[in-house]
Amino acid sequence: MAQFGDVVSTNFIYSQEQIDTRIYGDSDISYSGIPTVYHAGDVVHLPYASGETSTMEAIGLAWAAFTSGVGPE
Amino acid sequence: MAKKSGSSFGNFNKAEIFDPRPVKPITTEFSKGSVPDSIYAVNRESAWSRWRRGYEIATACFYDNSYDYPFTYRVPVPAGTPQTSGNPPTIPGVFKGFPTKNKEFGMHWAGVRVAGSLRFDNVRDSTGVRASIASVTEDANYWYVKLTGTWSVSNPLPPPLYVAIPGVPGGLKAINGEILEDRIVSVGGVPIDRDTIDPATQKRYGYVSAVLADTDPFNGILKLRKAGSVEATPDRALVTPATRPPNVGRFLMTGTRYCCSCQDFNRRDYGFMSSLNKVSDSLKTKFPRTNVASLKPGRYEIMTLGGVVDNNAMTSANVNRDMRIVSPAPQYNVPPTVTPTVSTVPGAARDRPGVFRDFGAMYLRNTSDPSIPGSRAEGMPSYEDYSASGNVITSLTDTWTPLLDEMRYCKHIYAMKYEEGVFPPEPSDFPVGIESMAAWEQKLVEETEKDQTEARAANLQRRSLSTMDVPPYNCQAPMMMPMMQKLFNIPSTFVKMNGFTMIDKNGTKYIPASGERPSV
Repeated sequence: MAQFGDVVSTNFIYSQEQIDTRIYGDSDISYSGIPTVYHAGDVVHLPYASGETSTMEAIGLAWAAFTSGVGPE
Repeated sequence: MAKKSGSSFGNFNKAEIFDPRPVKPITTEFSKGSVPDSIYAVNRESAWSRWRRGYEIATACFYDNSYDYPFTYRVPVPAGTPQTSGNPPTIPGVFKGFPTKNKEFGMHWAGVRVAGSLRFDNVRDSTGVRASIASVTEDANYWYVKLTGTWSVSNPLPPPLYVAIPGVPGGLKAINGEILEDRIVSVGGVPIDRDTIDPATQKRYGYVSAVLADTDPFNGILKLRKAGSVEATPDRALVTPATRPPNVGRFLMTGTRYCCSCQDFNRRDYGFMSSLNKVSDSLKTKFPRTNVASLKPGRYEIMTLGGVVDNNAMTSANVNRDMRIVSPAPQYNVPPTVTPTVSTVPGAARDRPGVFRDFGAMYLRNTSDPSIPGSRAEGMPSYEDYSASGNVITSLTDTWTPLLDEMRYCKHIYAMKYEEGVFPPEPSDFPVGIESMAAWEQKLVEETEKDQTEARAANLQRRSLSTMDVPPYNCQAPMMMPMMQKLFNIPSTFVKMNGFTMIDKNGTKYIPASGERPSV
């Protein structure tokens, strides 16, 4: 479920046994897929194209706005 | 004849002999029942202790307690800024819960901002040149990374590397303290990892991680700290400190950033008024209180909604609270270390009795690295909240400086680092004066497993998950908001509930602010 870069290196994948133990109690829970999408050790690939606002730029805009007393929209 | 009580002079009671046994030892901030002598304090605060406990908590809860909440946070743009099309600016990450009996809602929430969130291949100078690594010089303690581009007083490094503030010398250098890694080989390229092989040489690329200590915006120079740096070698090993500087020609990106809401990481204890405190003996008091002896001068935050104090642990996904910081004096309220959003209240402040205690303390190590020439021997750990001279506060220290494996992480962050496979080597500040380490460790193993089982049972069976606070609804709680600001490294006003897109166990996205829910 990564963004547009679609490269997420996940360090572990739950075994079927681990997934099974995630069913709490006796209720019938249905699920599929890998439980965790982002994990603490992941690296994302977020290549922003020209004309897009990158995360780096957005955080810069936020701090610059903050110093002049402007809040988010 | 019945024995007459008292002496023959009457029935006066005899004088009581002082019995020292019922006298209890002084209780410390984060533990109970130990006399806080200096040796004890050093042991308790040692990185080794956290490291060992982190490993234990990871292995004890890895199997059963997977409270993972992956998210993508969309960074809001300032009011009046035109929206651009295409991919929005996002911060991917994950919240991880660690069940505990030491919090009212039974969970310490740790947060991770995934590596690669900020990339330098989008940083350009005024002529559009991208800021790759042009050259590196070094001294005993730092690398000085010169970025490609033309930088000057009139064309400094762009935000967030540098924001000029009228009247504030040095301006704002928002990402000082971030971990930087030279893992982007080409513009828009996939970040390399320690396995990536250079097709030209058929050898692994390798990279270097180091903390950004300071920024020289007018010369385009980043000062990276050698102490605590990590190098991924061509042999795929992680070596610390790094033996070589970042590679010229590559682009930097941010490394994994951790924060935690536990008392140890925050150096803050938060009391929430709750009638649910029946799980643990230590939480029997229904009203939060602060020992007078624990009160200290410091800053504290107040969460408000519409100007009214709002301490709720969770809010609706459509509500945004404001964080107001009360600090000892306004002139010390210098960004980015302190981030007011609404206003600051001048005047000497103390902890907020009954709500917060022991604010703003920060672990500082006296050393860089013994293997680096010029560094000093490791000394006693110390906490610094503020410094004073002649009863006048001269500086407020609220820095948050990750030093990679040297940082004063809490055990939860060590646990996450273990799970991601970058568990740091054993810290050198091994506790002293412990009679038997084998016995101590055996006890730790047993207690951690028991505590985790107990905490999980308390959450899931006795109280049910409905009393738990969960992300993102708790992200503006008084205990979480300062952590969120540090984790994202943006002003707290820009941490808005509607920016969160959560990812459920099936990998399906849902937006809480739109009323969406995880699938069952």
